[in-house]
Amino acid sequence: MKKRLYIELENCIGCRSCLAACTQCGGHEQRNRNYVYDVNPHVSRQTMPLMCLHCENPACARSCPAQAIQIHETGAVLSALVEKCIGCQNCTIACPYGIPKFDEEENLMYKCDLCIDRTKDGIPPMCASVCPSNTLQWLTEEEIERKQQQYDLDNGKWVTSMPYLEGATNVKVNLPGILQGTEKLF
Amino acid sequence: MAETALRKPVKVAHSYNGAFASKFAKSMFTTVTLLVILSFIGTRMFTHVDLNLYGYMVGTFVFLGGFFYRFIAWGERPPTKIIITKGIKLMFRKSTPKTSVEHLATYKFIWNRGIYRWTQHVMLGWGCILSCLVTFPLVFGWMYFTMDEGGYYTVVAMGVNVMTVDADGIIAFFFYNALNFTAIMVIIGVCMALYRRLKNMQARAEQKFMYDFLPLYLLLFISITGLILTFMNVFLHGAGHYAMSMIHQYSVVVTLIYLPFGKLAHIPFRPLSVFARNYREHYGEQSMKKCKVCGDEFVSTEQSQDVINVLGTNEMDFTMEKDGFNLAELCLPCRRKYRIARFSGFATHEVKTKEANQNAKG
Ligand code: SF4
Ligand code: SF4
Repeated sequence: MKKRLYIELENCIGCRSCLAACTQCGGHEQRNRNYVYDVNPHVSRQTMPLMCLHCENPACARSCPAQAIQIHETGAVLSALVEKCIGCQNCTIACPYGIPKFDEEENLMYKCDLCIDRTKDGIPPMCASVCPSNTLQWLTEEEIERKQQQYDLDNGKWVTSMPYLEGATNVKVNLPGILQGTEKLF
Repeated sequence: MAETALRKPVKVAHSYNGAFASKFAKSMFTTVTLLVILSFIGTRMFTHVDLNLYGYMVGTFVFLGGFFYRFIAWGERPPTKIIITKGIKLMFRKSTPKTSVEHLATYKFIWNRGIYRWTQHVMLGWGCILSCLVTFPLVFGWMYFTMDEGGYYTVVAMGVNVMTVDADGIIAFFFYNALNFTAIMVIIGVCMALYRRLKNMQARAEQKFMYDFLPLYLLLFISITGLILTFMNVFLHGAGHYAMSMIHQYSVVVTLIYLPFGKLAHIPFRPLSVFARNYREHYGEQSMKKCKVCGDEFVSTEQSQDVINVLGTNEMDFTMEKDGFNLAELCLPCRRKYRIARFSGFATHEVKTKEANQNAKG
Protein backbone atom coordinates (compact mmCIF):
# COMPACT_ATOMS: atom_id res chain seq x y z
CA MET A 1 0.00 0.00 0.00
CA LYS A 2 1.65 3.20 -1.11
CA LYS A 3 1.72 5.80 1.59
CA ARG A 4 2.71 9.41 1.47
CA LEU A 5 3.93 11.97 3.91
CA TYR A 6 1.05 14.29 4.62
CA ILE A 7 1.46 17.54 6.52
CA GLU A 8 -1.18 19.46 8.42
CA LEU A 9 0.86 22.56 9.00
CA GLU A 10 -1.30 24.30 11.56
CA ASN A 11 -1.09 21.43 14.04
CA CYS A 12 2.58 22.10 14.71
CA ILE A 13 3.40 22.91 18.34
CA GLY A 14 7.10 23.63 17.79
CA CYS A 15 8.46 20.73 19.84
CA ARG A 16 11.11 19.95 17.20
CA SER A 17 10.81 16.22 17.77
CA CYS A 18 10.98 15.81 14.00
CA LEU A 19 14.38 17.49 13.91
CA ALA A 20 15.71 15.25 16.66
CA ALA A 21 14.25 12.13 15.06
CA CYS A 22 15.77 13.06 11.72
CA THR A 23 19.26 12.93 13.22
CA GLN A 24 18.70 9.30 14.15
CA CYS A 25 17.82 8.00 10.71
CA GLY A 26 20.26 5.59 9.05
CA GLY A 27 22.69 7.51 6.87
CA HIS A 28 21.92 10.90 8.36
CA GLU A 29 25.06 10.86 10.52
CA GLN A 30 23.45 12.64 13.45
CA ARG A 31 22.45 15.71 11.51
CA ASN A 32 18.90 16.77 10.84
CA ARG A 33 17.76 17.69 7.37
CA ASN A 34 14.47 19.41 8.13
CA TYR A 35 13.38 22.72 9.60
CA VAL A 36 10.81 24.21 12.00
CA TYR A 37 9.96 27.89 11.72
CA ASP A 38 8.20 30.42 13.90
CA VAL A 39 5.61 31.98 11.67
CA ASN A 40 5.65 35.34 13.42
CA PRO A 41 8.47 35.00 15.92
CA HIS A 42 7.98 38.10 18.07
CA VAL A 43 4.24 37.86 18.27
CA SER A 44 2.81 34.34 18.34
CA ARG A 45 3.82 30.79 19.17
CA GLN A 46 2.65 29.35 15.88
CA THR A 47 5.29 27.22 14.23
CA MET A 48 5.40 25.19 11.02
CA PRO A 49 7.71 22.43 9.89
CA LEU A 50 9.44 22.67 6.55
CA MET A 51 10.88 19.67 4.82
CA CYS A 52 11.67 18.52 1.34
CA LEU A 53 8.38 18.06 -0.45
CA HIS A 54 9.85 15.55 -2.91
CA CYS A 55 8.87 17.38 -6.04
CA GLU A 56 7.67 15.33 -8.97
CA ASN A 57 9.99 17.36 -11.15
CA PRO A 58 12.72 18.27 -8.66
CA ALA A 59 14.62 21.46 -9.39
CA CYS A 60 17.51 20.26 -7.25
CA ALA A 61 18.09 17.18 -9.40
CA ARG A 62 17.56 19.06 -12.66
CA SER A 63 20.23 21.58 -11.75
CA CYS A 64 22.81 19.04 -10.60
CA PRO A 65 25.68 18.77 -13.09
CA ALA A 66 26.83 15.46 -11.64
CA GLN A 67 23.49 13.65 -11.59
CA ALA A 68 24.18 13.07 -7.94
CA ILE A 69 20.56 13.47 -6.87
CA GLN A 70 18.63 10.36 -7.80
CA ILE A 71 14.90 9.86 -7.75
CA HIS A 72 13.86 6.64 -6.07
CA GLU A 73 11.13 4.50 -7.60
CA THR A 74 8.86 5.51 -4.71
CA GLY A 75 9.19 9.12 -5.85
CA ALA A 76 11.52 10.14 -3.02
CA VAL A 77 14.22 12.55 -4.14
CA LEU A 78 17.37 11.17 -2.56
CA SER A 79 20.32 12.88 -0.92
CA ALA A 80 23.46 13.38 -3.03
CA LEU A 81 25.40 10.24 -3.84
CA VAL A 82 28.65 10.73 -1.95
CA GLU A 83 30.89 9.67 -4.80
CA LYS A 84 29.12 11.78 -7.41
CA CYS A 85 28.50 15.14 -5.72
CA ILE A 86 31.13 17.58 -6.95
CA GLY A 87 30.19 20.26 -4.44
CA CYS A 88 28.94 22.95 -6.82
CA GLN A 89 25.89 23.78 -4.65
CA ASN A 90 23.61 24.37 -7.64
CA CYS A 91 20.94 22.30 -5.91
CA THR A 92 20.86 24.59 -2.88
CA ILE A 93 20.23 27.56 -5.16
CA ALA A 94 17.72 25.75 -7.36
CA CYS A 95 15.38 24.29 -4.72
CA PRO A 96 12.44 26.68 -4.44
CA TYR A 97 12.19 25.97 -0.70
CA GLY A 98 15.88 26.12 0.25
CA ILE A 99 15.97 22.55 1.50
CA PRO A 100 19.36 21.00 0.56
CA LYS A 101 22.12 21.60 3.09
CA PHE A 102 25.76 21.76 2.19
CA ASP A 103 28.74 20.65 4.22
CA GLU A 104 31.73 22.76 3.17
CA GLU A 105 34.26 20.59 4.98
CA GLU A 106 33.05 17.37 3.43
CA ASN A 107 32.30 19.08 0.11
CA LEU A 108 28.98 17.29 0.07
CA MET A 109 25.32 18.15 -0.17
CA TYR A 110 22.83 16.35 2.05
CA LYS A 111 19.08 16.58 2.07
CA CYS A 112 15.94 14.79 3.24
CA ASP A 113 15.75 11.37 1.61
CA LEU A 114 12.38 10.60 3.17
CA CYS A 115 14.26 8.01 5.27
CA ILE A 116 14.39 5.86 2.18
CA ASP A 117 15.52 2.71 3.98
CA ARG A 118 12.30 2.93 6.00
CA THR A 119 9.80 4.33 3.52
CA LYS A 120 10.76 1.97 0.73
CA ASP A 121 9.39 -0.78 2.97
CA GLY A 122 6.32 1.21 3.94
CA ILE A 123 7.66 2.24 7.36
CA PRO A 124 6.94 5.91 8.10
CA PRO A 125 9.87 8.34 8.00
CA MET A 126 11.41 9.25 11.35
CA CYS A 127 9.76 12.67 11.52
CA ALA A 128 6.25 11.31 10.98
CA SER A 129 6.87 8.48 13.47
CA VAL A 130 7.57 10.86 16.32
CA CYS A 131 5.37 13.88 15.62
CA PRO A 132 3.14 14.16 18.70
CA SER A 133 0.67 16.61 17.21
CA ASN A 134 -0.25 14.79 14.01
CA THR A 135 1.32 17.51 11.93
CA LEU A 136 3.35 14.94 10.07
CA GLN A 137 1.40 11.87 9.07
CA TRP A 138 2.06 8.84 6.93
CA LEU A 139 -1.11 8.07 5.02
CA THR A 140 -2.44 6.05 2.12
CA GLU A 141 -3.92 7.76 -0.89
CA GLU A 142 -7.41 6.88 0.38
CA GLU A 143 -6.74 8.38 3.77
CA ILE A 144 -5.51 11.56 2.16
CA GLU A 145 -8.60 11.51 -0.02
CA ARG A 146 -10.76 11.21 3.10
CA LYS A 147 -8.95 14.09 4.73
CA GLN A 148 -9.68 16.11 1.70
CA GLN A 149 -13.36 15.27 1.87
CA GLN A 150 -13.43 16.00 5.58
CA TYR A 151 -12.13 19.47 4.90
CA ASP A 152 -13.96 19.91 1.64
CA LEU A 153 -16.26 22.84 2.11
CA ASP A 154 -17.26 22.61 -1.50
CA ASN A 155 -15.82 26.00 -2.09
CA GLY A 156 -12.50 25.00 -3.61
CA LYS A 157 -10.61 26.03 -0.48
CA TRP A 158 -8.95 22.70 0.39
CA VAL A 159 -5.68 22.59 -1.38
CA THR A 160 -2.77 20.22 -1.45
CA SER A 161 0.18 21.03 -3.59
CA MET A 162 -0.86 22.73 -6.82
CA PRO A 163 -1.27 25.59 -7.45
CA TYR A 164 0.10 26.92 -4.19
CA LEU A 165 3.45 25.24 -4.45
CA GLU A 166 5.95 25.72 -7.24
CA GLY A 167 5.09 22.34 -8.71
CA ALA A 168 3.45 18.98 -8.02
CA THR A 169 4.96 17.20 -5.04
CA ASN A 170 4.93 13.71 -3.59
CA VAL A 171 4.46 15.05 -0.09
CA LYS A 172 0.95 16.43 0.35
CA VAL A 173 0.40 19.58 2.34
CA ASN A 174 -2.79 20.81 3.89
CA LEU A 175 -2.53 24.55 3.71
CA PRO A 176 -3.87 26.52 6.63
CA GLY A 177 -5.15 29.97 7.26
CA ILE A 178 -4.94 32.84 4.90
CA LEU A 179 -3.20 31.91 1.75
CA GLN A 180 -2.15 34.58 -0.62
CA GLY A 181 -5.42 36.30 0.05
CA THR A 182 -7.54 33.16 0.00
CA GLU A 183 -9.23 32.50 3.32
CA LYS A 184 -9.67 28.96 4.60
CA LEU A 185 -12.90 28.94 6.51
CA PHE A 186 -12.67 26.03 8.94
CA MET B 1 25.62 8.85 -31.78
CA ALA B 2 24.42 9.04 -35.35
CA GLU B 3 21.37 10.78 -33.89
CA THR B 4 23.36 13.66 -32.52
CA ALA B 5 24.93 14.13 -35.87
CA LEU B 6 21.53 14.24 -37.51
CA ARG B 7 19.99 16.63 -35.06
CA LYS B 8 22.64 19.25 -35.48
CA PRO B 9 22.48 21.46 -38.53
CA VAL B 10 25.34 20.36 -40.71
CA LYS B 11 27.87 23.12 -40.84
CA VAL B 12 30.32 23.05 -43.70
CA ALA B 13 33.38 23.25 -41.56
CA HIS B 14 36.89 22.96 -42.77
CA SER B 15 38.27 22.68 -39.29
CA TYR B 16 39.38 19.50 -37.53
CA ASN B 17 35.88 19.17 -36.07
CA GLY B 18 34.38 19.24 -39.52
CA ALA B 19 36.03 15.96 -40.40
CA PHE B 20 33.93 13.93 -37.98
CA ALA B 21 30.35 12.74 -37.93
CA SER B 22 29.98 13.34 -34.21
CA LYS B 23 31.76 14.38 -31.05
CA PHE B 24 32.00 10.74 -30.14
CA ALA B 25 33.77 9.88 -33.40
CA LYS B 26 36.16 12.76 -32.93
CA SER B 27 37.06 11.93 -29.34
CA MET B 28 37.48 8.25 -30.13
CA PHE B 29 39.60 8.87 -33.21
CA THR B 30 41.81 11.41 -31.47
CA THR B 31 42.44 9.28 -28.42
CA VAL B 32 43.09 6.05 -30.28
CA THR B 33 45.46 7.80 -32.69
CA LEU B 34 47.29 9.36 -29.78
CA LEU B 35 47.65 6.00 -28.05
CA VAL B 36 48.93 4.35 -31.22
CA ILE B 37 51.46 7.13 -31.83
CA LEU B 38 52.67 6.95 -28.24
CA SER B 39 53.02 3.18 -28.52
CA PHE B 40 54.84 3.54 -31.80
CA ILE B 41 57.38 5.81 -30.15
CA GLY B 42 57.48 3.90 -26.89
CA THR B 43 58.04 0.50 -28.45
CA ARG B 44 60.69 1.70 -30.86
CA MET B 45 58.43 1.29 -33.86
CA PHE B 46 56.49 -1.66 -32.46
CA THR B 47 59.58 -3.79 -31.98
CA HIS B 48 58.93 -4.30 -28.26
CA VAL B 49 55.23 -5.05 -27.99
CA ASP B 50 54.29 -7.46 -25.22
CA LEU B 51 51.61 -9.49 -26.94
CA ASN B 52 50.71 -11.29 -23.72
CA LEU B 53 49.05 -8.06 -22.70
CA TYR B 54 46.92 -7.49 -25.79
CA GLY B 55 43.72 -8.28 -23.87
CA TYR B 56 44.27 -5.16 -21.80
CA MET B 57 44.70 -3.17 -24.96
CA VAL B 58 41.37 -4.35 -26.34
CA GLY B 59 39.82 -3.67 -22.93
CA THR B 60 41.19 -0.14 -22.95
CA PHE B 61 39.67 0.60 -26.34
CA VAL B 62 36.28 -0.71 -25.28
CA PHE B 63 36.59 1.33 -22.08
CA LEU B 64 37.30 4.45 -24.10
CA GLY B 65 34.22 3.82 -26.22
CA GLY B 66 32.03 3.49 -23.13
CA PHE B 67 33.68 6.43 -21.44
CA PHE B 68 33.19 8.86 -24.33
CA TYR B 69 29.66 7.63 -24.87
CA ARG B 70 28.78 8.34 -21.23
CA PHE B 71 30.78 11.50 -20.90
CA ILE B 72 29.40 13.12 -24.02
CA ALA B 73 25.79 12.22 -23.21
CA TRP B 74 26.35 13.58 -19.74
CA GLY B 75 28.09 16.73 -20.94
CA GLU B 76 25.04 17.61 -23.04
CA ARG B 77 22.93 18.18 -19.94
CA PRO B 78 22.59 21.93 -19.44
CA PRO B 79 24.05 22.19 -15.90
CA THR B 80 26.93 19.89 -16.78
CA LYS B 81 27.72 21.85 -19.90
CA ILE B 82 28.00 25.05 -17.89
CA ILE B 83 30.43 23.54 -15.39
CA ILE B 84 32.52 21.98 -18.14
CA THR B 85 32.78 25.03 -20.41
CA LYS B 86 33.36 27.50 -17.58
CA GLY B 87 35.62 25.02 -15.83
CA ILE B 88 37.88 24.71 -18.84
CA LYS B 89 38.07 28.49 -19.12
CA LEU B 90 39.05 28.78 -15.46
CA MET B 91 41.45 25.85 -15.51
CA PHE B 92 44.56 27.94 -14.91
CA ARG B 93 43.68 29.65 -11.68
CA LYS B 94 46.43 30.00 -9.13
CA SER B 95 44.59 27.74 -6.73
CA THR B 96 44.06 24.92 -9.23
CA PRO B 97 47.10 22.83 -8.25
CA LYS B 98 46.20 23.01 -4.57
CA THR B 99 42.54 22.20 -5.17
CA SER B 100 43.45 19.34 -7.49
CA VAL B 101 45.79 17.79 -4.95
CA GLU B 102 43.22 18.08 -2.18
CA HIS B 103 40.38 16.73 -4.29
CA LEU B 104 42.13 14.10 -6.36
CA ALA B 105 45.19 12.99 -4.43
CA THR B 106 44.90 13.53 -0.69
CA TYR B 107 41.09 13.39 -0.51
CA LYS B 108 40.93 16.05 2.19
CA PHE B 109 37.13 16.19 1.98
CA ILE B 110 36.91 12.47 2.70
CA TRP B 111 39.22 12.92 5.67
CA ASN B 112 36.57 15.31 6.96
CA ARG B 113 33.97 12.59 6.54
CA GLY B 114 35.94 10.32 8.84
CA ILE B 115 39.36 8.73 9.19
CA TYR B 116 38.05 5.24 8.52
CA ARG B 117 36.47 6.24 5.24
CA TRP B 118 39.56 8.19 4.29
CA THR B 119 41.92 5.27 4.92
CA GLN B 120 39.61 3.01 2.99
CA HIS B 121 39.48 5.42 0.09
CA VAL B 122 43.23 6.03 0.00
CA MET B 123 43.84 2.28 -0.07
CA LEU B 124 41.30 1.71 -2.82
CA GLY B 125 41.97 4.87 -4.79
CA TRP B 126 45.73 4.85 -4.75
CA GLY B 127 45.84 1.08 -5.06
CA CYS B 128 43.93 1.37 -8.31
CA ILE B 129 45.71 4.46 -9.62
CA LEU B 130 49.16 3.04 -8.99
CA SER B 131 48.20 -0.28 -10.54
CA CYS B 132 47.05 1.52 -13.67
CA LEU B 133 50.22 3.60 -13.74
CA VAL B 134 52.26 0.41 -13.71
CA THR B 135 50.08 -1.69 -16.00
CA PHE B 136 49.17 0.60 -18.86
CA PRO B 137 52.63 1.85 -19.76
CA LEU B 138 53.59 -1.83 -20.01
CA VAL B 139 50.50 -2.64 -22.09
CA PHE B 140 51.14 0.12 -24.58
CA GLY B 141 54.86 -0.35 -24.53
CA TRP B 142 55.58 3.09 -23.09
CA MET B 143 57.81 1.32 -20.65
CA TYR B 144 59.57 -2.02 -20.86
CA PHE B 145 62.63 -3.79 -19.54
CA THR B 146 65.50 -5.32 -21.39
CA MET B 147 67.95 -7.73 -19.78
CA ASP B 148 71.58 -6.99 -20.51
CA GLU B 149 74.50 -9.13 -19.61
CA GLY B 150 75.65 -9.37 -16.02
CA GLY B 151 72.30 -9.41 -14.21
CA TYR B 152 71.30 -5.86 -15.01
CA TYR B 153 67.98 -4.62 -16.33
CA THR B 154 67.61 -1.57 -18.51
CA VAL B 155 64.42 0.36 -17.99
CA VAL B 156 63.20 1.83 -21.28
CA ALA B 157 60.60 4.58 -21.10
CA MET B 158 59.18 6.07 -24.30
CA GLY B 159 61.94 4.40 -26.25
CA VAL B 160 64.69 5.98 -24.19
CA ASN B 161 66.98 4.05 -21.86
CA VAL B 162 66.26 5.62 -18.52
CA MET B 163 68.30 3.61 -16.09
CA THR B 164 70.03 0.37 -15.49
CA VAL B 165 69.23 -1.48 -12.33
CA ASP B 166 70.68 -4.46 -10.58
CA ALA B 167 68.30 -7.37 -11.14
CA ASP B 168 68.66 -8.35 -7.48
CA GLY B 169 68.71 -4.80 -6.18
CA ILE B 170 66.17 -2.97 -4.15
CA ILE B 171 64.80 -0.88 -7.03
CA ALA B 172 64.23 -3.95 -9.16
CA PHE B 173 62.46 -5.51 -6.18
CA PHE B 174 60.00 -2.64 -6.18
CA PHE B 175 59.51 -2.92 -9.92
CA TYR B 176 58.68 -6.61 -9.72
CA ASN B 177 56.43 -6.24 -6.76
CA ALA B 178 54.71 -2.96 -7.41
CA LEU B 179 51.52 -4.70 -8.43
CA ASN B 180 51.66 -6.97 -5.41
CA PHE B 181 51.80 -3.99 -3.12
CA THR B 182 48.97 -2.22 -4.88
CA ALA B 183 46.93 -5.44 -4.85
CA ILE B 184 47.35 -5.60 -1.10
CA MET B 185 46.30 -1.96 -0.81
CA VAL B 186 43.17 -2.64 -2.81
CA ILE B 187 42.34 -5.74 -0.78
CA ILE B 188 42.68 -3.79 2.46
CA GLY B 189 40.46 -1.06 1.03
CA VAL B 190 37.81 -3.47 -0.19
CA CYS B 191 37.78 -5.32 3.14
CA MET B 192 37.37 -2.05 5.01
CA ALA B 193 34.53 -1.06 2.71
CA LEU B 194 32.82 -4.43 3.06
CA TYR B 195 33.27 -4.42 6.82
CA ARG B 196 31.73 -0.98 7.03
CA ARG B 197 28.78 -2.10 4.94
CA LEU B 198 28.16 -5.20 6.99
CA LYS B 199 28.70 -3.77 10.45
CA ASN B 200 27.31 -0.30 10.05
CA MET B 201 23.56 -0.17 9.56
CA GLN B 202 23.86 3.42 8.49
CA ALA B 203 26.10 2.55 5.58
CA ARG B 204 24.00 -0.46 4.72
CA ALA B 205 20.86 1.59 4.36
CA GLU B 206 22.36 3.56 1.52
CA GLN B 207 23.48 0.67 -0.60
CA LYS B 208 22.02 -0.94 -3.62
CA PHE B 209 23.59 -4.32 -4.18
CA MET B 210 24.68 -4.18 -7.77
CA TYR B 211 25.66 -0.55 -7.76
CA ASP B 212 27.63 -0.72 -4.60
CA PHE B 213 28.94 -4.24 -4.15
CA LEU B 214 29.70 -5.30 -7.70
CA PRO B 215 32.62 -2.87 -8.14
CA LEU B 216 34.06 -3.94 -4.79
CA TYR B 217 33.87 -7.61 -5.72
CA LEU B 218 35.41 -6.93 -9.12
CA LEU B 219 38.34 -5.09 -7.56
CA LEU B 220 38.74 -7.83 -4.99
CA PHE B 221 38.72 -10.48 -7.70
CA ILE B 222 41.35 -8.67 -9.75
CA SER B 223 43.61 -8.19 -6.76
CA ILE B 224 43.33 -11.75 -5.54
CA THR B 225 43.92 -13.31 -8.96
CA GLY B 226 46.88 -10.97 -9.37
CA LEU B 227 48.37 -12.11 -6.09
CA ILE B 228 47.73 -15.74 -6.95
CA LEU B 229 49.74 -15.19 -10.12
CA THR B 230 52.70 -14.04 -8.05
CA PHE B 231 52.19 -16.95 -5.69
CA MET B 232 52.21 -19.42 -8.59
CA ASN B 233 55.36 -17.93 -10.01
CA VAL B 234 57.26 -17.83 -6.77
CA PHE B 235 56.12 -20.98 -5.01
CA LEU B 236 54.73 -23.23 -7.73
CA HIS B 237 57.40 -22.47 -10.30
CA GLY B 238 54.84 -21.08 -12.66
CA ALA B 239 52.40 -24.00 -12.58
CA GLY B 240 48.95 -22.87 -13.75
CA HIS B 241 50.35 -19.50 -14.64
CA TYR B 242 48.79 -19.34 -18.09
CA ALA B 243 45.22 -20.14 -17.02
CA MET B 244 45.42 -17.80 -14.06
CA SER B 245 46.84 -14.96 -16.11
CA MET B 246 43.92 -15.34 -18.51
CA ILE B 247 41.41 -15.23 -15.66
CA HIS B 248 43.16 -12.18 -14.26
CA GLN B 249 43.29 -10.47 -17.62
CA TYR B 250 39.62 -11.11 -18.32
CA SER B 251 38.61 -9.78 -14.92
CA VAL B 252 40.50 -6.56 -15.64
CA VAL B 253 38.89 -6.27 -19.07
CA VAL B 254 35.39 -6.80 -17.66
CA THR B 255 36.06 -4.15 -15.00
CA LEU B 256 37.33 -1.71 -17.61
CA ILE B 257 34.24 -2.21 -19.73
CA TYR B 258 31.97 -1.79 -16.72
CA LEU B 259 33.86 1.18 -15.32
CA PRO B 260 32.07 4.08 -17.07
CA PHE B 261 28.63 2.74 -16.17
CA GLY B 262 28.63 2.11 -12.46
CA LYS B 263 29.96 3.51 -9.24
CA LEU B 264 33.52 3.47 -10.53
CA ALA B 265 32.53 6.07 -13.12
CA HIS B 266 33.29 8.67 -10.49
CA ILE B 267 37.01 8.05 -11.10
CA PRO B 268 37.17 9.61 -14.59
CA PHE B 269 34.44 12.17 -13.76
CA ARG B 270 35.84 13.38 -10.47
CA PRO B 271 38.12 16.12 -11.87
CA LEU B 272 34.89 18.05 -12.40
CA SER B 273 34.92 18.82 -8.69
CA VAL B 274 38.00 20.96 -9.30
CA PHE B 275 36.07 22.77 -12.03
CA ALA B 276 33.18 23.31 -9.64
CA ARG B 277 35.47 24.76 -6.98
CA ASN B 278 37.16 27.09 -9.46
CA TYR B 279 33.78 28.17 -10.77
CA ARG B 280 32.57 29.09 -7.30
CA GLU B 281 35.79 30.83 -6.31
CA HIS B 282 36.29 32.78 -9.52
CA TYR B 283 32.78 34.14 -9.88
CA GLY B 284 32.55 34.65 -6.14
CA GLU B 285 35.51 36.99 -6.34
CA GLN B 286 33.96 38.82 -9.27
CA SER B 287 30.63 39.61 -7.70
CA MET B 288 28.45 38.16 -5.01
CA LYS B 289 24.68 38.06 -5.14
CA LYS B 290 22.92 39.91 -2.35
CA CYS B 291 19.79 38.23 -1.05
CA LYS B 292 16.79 40.21 -2.25
CA VAL B 293 15.25 40.03 1.20
CA CYS B 294 17.99 40.33 3.82
CA GLY B 295 20.88 41.62 1.68
CA ASP B 296 23.36 38.93 2.75
CA GLU B 297 25.77 37.75 0.09
CA PHE B 298 25.15 34.06 -0.40
CA VAL B 299 26.35 32.94 -3.84
CA SER B 300 28.06 34.40 -6.90
CA THR B 301 25.86 36.46 -9.19
CA GLU B 302 26.96 34.23 -12.04
CA GLN B 303 25.85 31.01 -10.36
CA SER B 304 22.51 32.41 -9.31
CA GLN B 305 21.88 33.40 -12.92
CA ASP B 306 23.20 30.11 -14.30
CA VAL B 307 20.82 28.17 -12.08
CA ILE B 308 17.89 30.32 -13.19
CA ASN B 309 18.84 29.64 -16.82
CA VAL B 310 19.29 25.92 -16.31
CA LEU B 311 15.88 25.68 -14.66
CA GLY B 312 14.54 27.69 -17.57
CA THR B 313 15.73 25.05 -20.02
CA ASN B 314 13.72 22.58 -17.94
CA GLU B 315 10.69 24.84 -18.13
CA MET B 316 10.90 25.77 -14.48
CA ASP B 317 10.60 29.38 -13.52
CA PHE B 318 10.48 30.47 -9.92
CA THR B 319 9.98 34.17 -10.51
CA MET B 320 7.61 35.52 -7.88
CA GLU B 321 5.84 38.23 -9.85
CA LYS B 322 4.12 39.71 -6.83
CA ASP B 323 7.25 40.05 -4.75
CA GLY B 324 9.57 40.94 -7.62
CA PHE B 325 12.29 38.33 -7.21
CA ASN B 326 13.29 34.93 -8.42
CA LEU B 327 13.62 32.35 -5.65
CA ALA B 328 17.24 31.77 -6.70
CA GLU B 329 17.89 35.36 -5.61
CA LEU B 330 17.03 34.67 -1.98
CA CYS B 331 19.51 33.28 0.52
CA LEU B 332 18.54 29.89 1.90
CA PRO B 333 17.06 30.99 5.23
CA CYS B 334 15.06 33.72 3.54
CA ARG B 335 13.84 31.32 0.88
CA ARG B 336 12.64 28.92 3.56
CA LYS B 337 10.93 31.69 5.47
CA TYR B 338 9.35 32.90 2.27
CA ARG B 339 7.86 29.43 1.86
CA ILE B 340 6.46 29.61 5.39
CA ALA B 341 5.03 33.00 4.46
CA ARG B 342 3.34 31.46 1.45
CA PHE B 343 1.93 28.69 3.65
CA SER B 344 0.70 30.93 6.41
CA GLY B 345 -0.15 34.17 4.69
CA PHE B 346 2.06 36.07 7.14
CA ALA B 347 5.26 37.60 5.74
CA THR B 348 7.66 35.58 7.90
CA HIS B 349 10.63 36.43 5.69
CA GLU B 350 10.26 40.11 6.43
CA VAL B 351 10.63 39.70 10.19
CA LYS B 352 14.23 40.57 11.01
CA THR B 353 15.25 37.64 13.16
CA LYS B 354 17.76 34.94 12.52
CA GLU B 355 16.34 31.47 12.12
CA ALA B 356 16.56 29.78 15.50
CA ASN B 357 16.76 26.21 16.75
CA GLN B 358 17.26 24.53 13.43
CA ASN B 359 19.88 22.05 14.49
CA ALA B 360 19.00 19.17 16.72
CA LYS B 361 21.98 17.54 18.36
CA GLY B 362 21.99 13.86 17.49
S1 SF4 C 1 11.70 20.44 -2.27
FE1 SF4 C 1 13.72 21.12 -3.01
S2 SF4 C 1 15.10 19.54 -2.30
FE2 SF4 C 1 13.05 18.67 -2.21
S3 SF4 C 1 12.78 17.65 -4.20
FE3 SF4 C 1 11.93 19.70 -4.39
S4 SF4 C 1 13.65 20.89 -5.23
FE4 SF4 C 1 14.53 19.02 -4.42
S1 SF4 D 1 26.27 20.25 -4.74
FE1 SF4 D 1 26.40 18.11 -5.35
S2 SF4 D 1 24.29 17.39 -5.37
FE2 SF4 D 1 24.21 19.62 -5.38
S3 SF4 D 1 24.08 20.19 -7.53
FE3 SF4 D 1 26.26 20.22 -7.00
S4 SF4 D 1 27.01 18.17 -7.50
FE4 SF4 D 1 24.76 18.06 -7.46
